[in-house]
Amino acid sequence: MNADAAMAGSRSNEGAETESRDRFRALDRDVQDLKTEVLNINRDLLLLEEELLFPANSQVAFFVSMDIGEYFDLDSVNLKIDGKEVANYLYTEREVGALQRGGVHRVHMANLKTGEHELIAVFTGRGPHGRDYRRGATMKIDKGIGAKYIELEITDRVRKQQPEFVVREWE
Amino acid sequence: MIAARLLMIASCLSLVLATVQAATDDKHTIVVKDPHYGEVLFYFYQEEYFPAIVRLLAAEKQARVEQHADEAELLRGGLYLSYGNHLEAAAIFERLLASNVSPEVRDRTWFFLAKIWYQRGYFDESQQALDKIKAALPQNLRREATMLQAQILIDTLQFDSAIALLQRWDDDSDWAGYAKFNLGVALVRSGRVDSAARILDGLGSISANSEELTSLRDKANLALGYALIQDGQPTAAKTPLQRVRLAGPFSNKALLGVGWADAELERYHRALVPWMELRSRDLLDPAVQESMLAIPYAFAKLDSISQSADHYLNAIEAFYEEINRIDRTIAHIESGDLFDEFLADEPLDSTGWYWRLEKLPQGPEGRYLYHLLATHEFQEGLKNYRDLRYLYSNLDDWQQSIDVFENMLDTRRLVYEARTPRSRSALGRADVDSLVARTREFDSTLDNIERSGDWLALANEREARMWGEIASLESAPALASDLTEAADVLTRLRLLRGVLQWRLEREFKDRLSRVRRSLRQTSEALVETQRSRRQVELSMRGQPLALDGLSRRVQSLKPRITGLKIRVADTMVEQRTYLQNIAIDVLRAQKERLDIYTVQARFALAAIYDLAATVGAATE
Repeated sequence: MNADAAMAGSRSNEGAETESRDRFRALDRDVQDLKTEVLNINRDLLLLEEELLFPANSQVAFFVSMDIGEYFDLDSVNLKIDGKEVANYLYTEREVGALQRGGVHRVHMANLKTGEHELIAVFTGRGPHGRDYRRGATMKIDKGIGAKYIELEITDRVRKQQPEFVVREWE
Repeated sequence: MIAARLLMIASCLSLVLATVQAATDDKHTIVVKDPHYGEVLFYFYQEEYFPAIVRLLAAEKQARVEQHADEAELLRGGLYLSYGNHLEAAAIFERLLASNVSPEVRDRTWFFLAKIWYQRGYFDESQQALDKIKAALPQNLRREATMLQAQILIDTLQFDSAIALLQRWDDDSDWAGYAKFNLGVALVRSGRVDSAARILDGLGSISANSEELTSLRDKANLALGYALIQDGQPTAAKTPLQRVRLAGPFSNKALLGVGWADAELERYHRALVPWMELRSRDLLDPAVQESMLAIPYAFAKLDSISQSADHYLNAIEAFYEEINRIDRTIAHIESGDLFDEFLADEPLDSTGWYWRLEKLPQGPEGRYLYHLLATHEFQEGLKNYRDLRYLYSNLDDWQQSIDVFENMLDTRRLVYEARTPRSRSALGRADVDSLVARTREFDSTLDNIERSGDWLALANEREARMWGEIASLESAPALASDLTEAADVLTRLRLLRGVLQWRLEREFKDRLSRVRRSLRQTSEALVETQRSRRQVELSMRGQPLALDGLSRRVQSLKPRITGLKIRVADTMVEQRTYLQNIAIDVLRAQKERLDIYTVQARFALAAIYDLAATVGAATE
């Protein structure tokens, strides 16, 4: 019997412990380095993918944001560009939580020719008093040269106690 | 632009740290100015740290978060910390914390870094981080920081400093119990059993109102009991050992200890009571294993030789079966599949540092490694292994994507080569420059018309034809006669000419401005056409360069992915081997103990048989 053995934090074999800890740390440092390198290569690959699929000249990105969002519990966002459905995104509870806390979701990326395009965004979810809610918002997009960012914003109209849906260019 | 409920610049980090505590109390608001910064937050709030960091790195490289430059780097530090990339996080904090954040946020950050480093065995770094904490920690964290400090001191064998620190503990929070326990540990390990006994006795007598405190109380009683037995005080040892709950994580060891205390006092009948209770318990527990030897030992002492022999035989058989089970488990661990089985139910994208494997899979390994699961060393090692699996799968996905990118580029090159001759020929046919020259010419003609007031020049086709017909009729020889009819016709023709002229003169300015407007629009359209043409030409000229640039990037990324994948796979093997070794060491220690017990049982049995033979011979 060994009284020490019953104690938390006791060390029956300090040498082996130290050796094992050193081995752990050496491995941990390798893992840390690899994490950093994989993160960096992911950055490069993400940028390459974006440039390849959505060149800056034709790129349009659509972002969903929420300011407070107490009057609207978002279920999904549907996007149509020039009458053609391009995105239909169903939100999880976790994602809605992230939007409510200030996160911004890139819901769609597209390549558009220069000139005028029509965007129709339809938001569905639950409005005040838990009622089903479906609202649309439209915008004429004047696409020039260079990337364009469009914001689809859900805000609260406190006076009317209703949600409001605004589509506009992110400036 | 959205005004979102976010934290202030300076609290970005506290937000990260607050995630650790699952609570935020900051109600400040800021405006998300760059959508890509908001996108990073979108992933961060979902605790998806890997994609959040990648997006932040990409956005920073593209200068897309310039309006959040200050907080972006701090957020990156926080994200690295949450992802468990503690060395990267620390490098950022070293640089930024001194000036950019409030003392409270700074102290909390160093505290969490100290905690991570301690759990990962970076004792020096952990100590350095603790040294950076000034005085702005909230009280609960300050207590935890002091405890962390004490643990570092104990782990680095600085018992006197640990004792001095813990003796100054002066509150009655839940942490006080742990402080007393660790003080007791430090005192025992520095050889001061009497002082330790006082501390542990106090802790072992508290009225605990939670499972955590009850467990701590049991632990203190157990530690005290064994310390007293070892110090030759078996009678005193019984009191704390009997205070340990009969059903709990420490009950087997306590029952064993009570038995040994009685055995030390040569009260073997009494010793058998707790030991016999242990027989019905899980043989995996070392206390239960030891009791299987203790029971026949007590029977032998009580001269119940045949009962003693039976129990020794039972023990040998049980140990043999257990050793076989351990061997099978070791073989399974060595096969390398075990840790993937551990993580089989874990989503591959769970990347946070705060993750813990809570439940072991069913099966013998789970039983044997149950205690191992509670250690930092194993949990942190398993976390690294989990992260490596994620990195490997991430690189594997990119490896497939990069081939697709390469194909896309090849296809684009083919399309370019096929279309270029057609496009060049079309551009060649469209002689925009001569059109421009013609509009200039026409403009000058209009100037002349305006200057000379040549209203006829602006007549339309019908009017011009009519004017021509009138003129030709007027000069017809038939109308030159003196006939009255001829004079009438001439008069009518003059009238018609006059009306036409009057209309052309009256509308001259309007017509002129209409023509000029039309000409201007044509000129503008031609300018636009020239610009488009230049762009098409530029784009045609630039396309091979752009494709080459993208191809070069693909070509440089491909070997990087392959190389990294190999390194990740190698490190995975090393990490798995490391975990296997820890697990196998635990099992081998259990097996060695059982081997020793088996030898002891065989010797004892042999001695009993010898004794029986000697007694039998003497009787005959």
